[in-house]
Amino acid sequence: MDNLHPLESKVLLALAPQPGSPSTLDHLAESTGLEPSQLSMAVEWLLAKSLIAVHAETVAYIASLTPVGEVFFEKYAPIERVLSAAREAGQIGKRLTIQDIQAKEALEPSDVSKAVGTLKKEGAILIVQGGCIESTGRNSPTAEAMRALLQELRSGQRELQTFAEPLRAVLQQHAVKRGNAREPFRVDERVTRSFLLTPTGQEVADQLSRDGVAEEVSQLTPELLKEGAWRTKQFRKYTISLRAPRIAAGKRHPYREFLDLVKLKLVSMGFQEMRGTLVETEFWNMDALFMPQFHPARDIHDVYFVKNPTHAKNIAEPYLTNVTQVHENGAGAGSTGWGYQFDAERAKRLVLRSQGTAVSARRLATSPSVPGKYFSIARCFRYDQVDATHATDFFQVEGIVLGSDITFRTLLGLLNLFAREVAQAKEVKFLPAYFPFTEPSVEMHVRHPKLGWMELGGAGLFRPEVTTPLGVSVPVIAWGLGLDRMAMVALGIHDIRDLFSADLEFIRTMRGSF
Amino acid sequence: MPTIFLQRDDLEALIAGPDETASRISIDQLEQWLMLVKGELKGHNTETGELRIELQDSNRPDLWCCEGIARQIRTKQQGVAMSYPFFKKQKRAAGKLVVAPGLEQVRPYVAACTAIGYRVTASGLAQLIQTQEKLADIFGRKRRTVSIGLYRLAPIIFPVSYDLVKPDDVRFTPLGMETVMTLREILMVHPKGVEYGGIVSGHDRLPILRDAKGQVLSFPPIINSREIGEVQVGDDHLFVEVTGTDLHMVALTLNIFAANLADRGAVIAPVEIQSPVKTAFGKRWHTPIDFGAPRTIPLKAIETALGEALGSKEVTTALKSYGYTVKSAGPKVAVQLPPYRNDLLHTVDVVEDVAISQGYARFAPVMPSQFTVGGLSRLEQMADRVRHLMVGMEFQEIISNIMGSHQDFCTRMRLDGTEWAKVVEVDNVMSLSYSCLRQWITPSLLQVETNSSRAFYPHRMFEVGEVAVPDARADVGSRTITMLGAVIAHAGAHFSEIHSCLDLLLYYLDRSFTLEPVPHPSFLEGRAGRIMLDGRAIGLLGELHPEVLEQWQIGVPAVALELEIDRLLEEV
Repeated sequence: MDNLHPLESKVLLALAPQPGSPSTLDHLAESTGLEPSQLSMAVEWLLAKSLIAVHAETVAYIASLTPVGEVFFEKYAPIERVLSAAREAGQIGKRLTIQDIQAKEALEPSDVSKAVGTLKKEGAILIVQGGCIESTGRNSPTAEAMRALLQELRSGQRELQTFAEPLRAVLQQHAVKRGNAREPFRVDERVTRSFLLTPTGQEVADQLSRDGVAEEVSQLTPELLKEGAWRTKQFRKYTISLRAPRIAAGKRHPYREFLDLVKLKLVSMGFQEMRGTLVETEFWNMDALFMPQFHPARDIHDVYFVKNPTHAKNIAEPYLTNVTQVHENGAGAGSTGWGYQFDAERAKRLVLRSQGTAVSARRLATSPSVPGKYFSIARCFRYDQVDATHATDFFQVEGIVLGSDITFRTLLGLLNLFAREVAQAKEVKFLPAYFPFTEPSVEMHVRHPKLGWMELGGAGLFRPEVTTPLGVSVPVIAWGLGLDRMAMVALGIHDIRDLFSADLEFIRTMRGSF
Repeated sequence: MPTIFLQRDDLEALIAGPDETASRISIDQLEQWLMLVKGELKGHNTETGELRIELQDSNRPDLWCCEGIARQIRTKQQGVAMSYPFFKKQKRAAGKLVVAPGLEQVRPYVAACTAIGYRVTASGLAQLIQTQEKLADIFGRKRRTVSIGLYRLAPIIFPVSYDLVKPDDVRFTPLGMETVMTLREILMVHPKGVEYGGIVSGHDRLPILRDAKGQVLSFPPIINSREIGEVQVGDDHLFVEVTGTDLHMVALTLNIFAANLADRGAVIAPVEIQSPVKTAFGKRWHTPIDFGAPRTIPLKAIETALGEALGSKEVTTALKSYGYTVKSAGPKVAVQLPPYRNDLLHTVDVVEDVAISQGYARFAPVMPSQFTVGGLSRLEQMADRVRHLMVGMEFQEIISNIMGSHQDFCTRMRLDGTEWAKVVEVDNVMSLSYSCLRQWITPSLLQVETNSSRAFYPHRMFEVGEVAVPDARADVGSRTITMLGAVIAHAGAHFSEIHSCLDLLLYYLDRSFTLEPVPHPSFLEGRAGRIMLDGRAIGLLGELHPEVLEQWQIGVPAVALELEIDRLLEEV
């Protein structure tokens, strides 16, 4: 009942008033006013739903003119033309052969010979000496029947049964049959079915006539709303279990979403964002971080060097002097220094930033707040073969915390906070670690719900050889989080290169769980 | 930094000590102990007993070997440093090693000793060679500052001379060769000569170690002689020398080797070094040499840094059981490193050793309590606003690598030979695919389009990311700019589509812009505009040139937008 199409309702209602009396399609077309195609569609649906049943099936034979018949009607049938040609010739004392008639009347030889055969049989003509045709003056019943049939069917088709003999016999004789398409008539079989409501159909129809039919519509339109016509409409129900068509959304990159979340966490913990440059001097990338100029990580195989210009114009003072001294003899920082001759030219060498700590070093030199917390999400470059675990450039999340209350224990406290807030980890392990610019140094391992124990980051207290030359006199925590692995798990990928994928379909379908 | 291989039973024997029976150490226990040496167990072959351990501390070369790791663990167990009598001044040296004048210009320093009584085993030899390689390679910067030679002692007649000779004047059979070669030939032909020859290039005389009979020991830092300089399993009389460019690093390296051999049961005898010039050790000194000095540290400094009032007793215990010599004197402690270490630059180094010795778990974490205000930079805030608006206009965000190729950033964009083709290039290129930094975002997005012809259309994508633009006025020769790039690609992609996006974006950001026609080779002529804000160019947009699309093998029209987000912040 719910699923009735408006067409179906119409048919049911047309059948309802005369219970028990069958209706044919013609009747229904009349009473519903539906187009034949709509009607037959509705009837088929109702039959399928067993709301109506076929009451009777009758076969009728319908006679109609063929295109040949149309021509015969215009120019008369060959039999008439043969007969009248014979009569006209007789009146002026001439005799015509079959060929003469054929030429005169421009008829097909087969038509002429068939007509002559019939006329001779009916005694309307005689074949006399020389193959000539002579009118007997008698009528031809076939010719007359032909004329009557052409006349009759010209105005429209008729059921074969309604023709009396001998017309019916002539019609059947001259109807299109297999192998002979040149005939003026055709007889077609037509099945006429009549329909009755089934008991269920009767119920539905009664209900419909009681409740009235709300016209069903597929789309609510502004007009329906404006006119309030929606009140009398029913909205066709959809098959909602079908799969939805695909669309593309405007959306953030899932990896960026992850980084945005990290950013949010850090800001909510009181961290200020810092930014730096992609190209850095060795000074800020390494020297200021107390990495000696002979340190293995400064090798040509670890850092990308810039081609042009190769060197920065200058390094700001007093930092260059301070850092030079601290490398050479530790002066000012209570250190022995590295005990080598610092190369100021090397300090100016331009490199692609290889560690986010460079951003922190610059921040330390530009009057940071005390107490202060800072972070950066900095793109860094390493001289590595690109593979599943190494990208040509990648994000480092790192930062600093300055304060008079900073100690080794507050460092551990901060890392605990990171573990809880950033990695949602409940279990944390601290291991001794080594970084050139911190002492003590810590590596933090957390128990990840999916990965088990994993390294989350490294941290430490900046060496005084780092802070003092940059004008900072309070202890400073330096920290860095290795989040790529966590991000990869959250995004369900196994290759770090996929974080920077160039495949739109992949990016559109990638989603994170974090 | 270095990763080393060692045998589990060898490690167990060394931890137990020469006169004790070794006992099995569980892997869990081992991992605990490895914290003392900042070591991480990277692999464990249960069949062969081989352990793979990564050592982090680049200032502790003494730990880059089985002996060093065992020594640190054993010291912790025993509570005091092991004693090595050979570091004390001894009157009798096993022999002399005489340094010739002129070497101060080439490779000035040498240290040497003899080791008798340890019969070299196969696994012991493997460890000796590994230590030699790791120290020379990483600590010695690929032999430049330090290199090491091991020899059979028996054939060597003292005094040994460390001399300079002309490349064609001396010939010997180097390790790995069958025939006698001159130093010049070694540099040209021998694999080690080719690999390390650069260290001595530019000198017309080269270093050579020979004994009193003129037998060549080695051509440092390149290669040993095959006759004397090939230690084999079963040898129990050894000679060790270290040459290099840094007096203390050379001495330290020999100290490490001497301690290692002593741990394996050898008796170490010093060699007297005679220098033609005065050094920090004088003109004559014995090696191994304990050149460390005590350092006095206020106890308070340690306690303040750790945030824990440990007291003098705990600090003393911690440092002694980590190998230090400690004298406690009221509010101060005098500490000295063992002779195989030289990494005490600052008090903080001692602080860390106290913490490591006691275990980090000894220190309860405390939350930093000082209040700070968090926040994003103005640039990041603007970048985020732009990103959210682009998402609202149904663009998919992309993240690309910043490093790429000139081909992608310039050539494929039809920019070669124009002012637009200026990029930051890398000097030490590893791969042509990664040889410069992008100067704009559009090529990154076209890279995506190239790979995505099968993703259903339309394609709308953007990236907010950093680019580097060469700028002679900038301190570092280039400016890092945060840039918006956007590309729309589909069969009907049209200028007005991207124009509308720009228009709406800048409407919401409340910046009124104008467009000026610009002849830009990446775009169709007459269909590209320069985005002007207060008379300054802040970006570009247009229909990409068909040749650009062809270069990228893109089969649909595409329009692009490029906008400097930094500039949106200016003069507001």
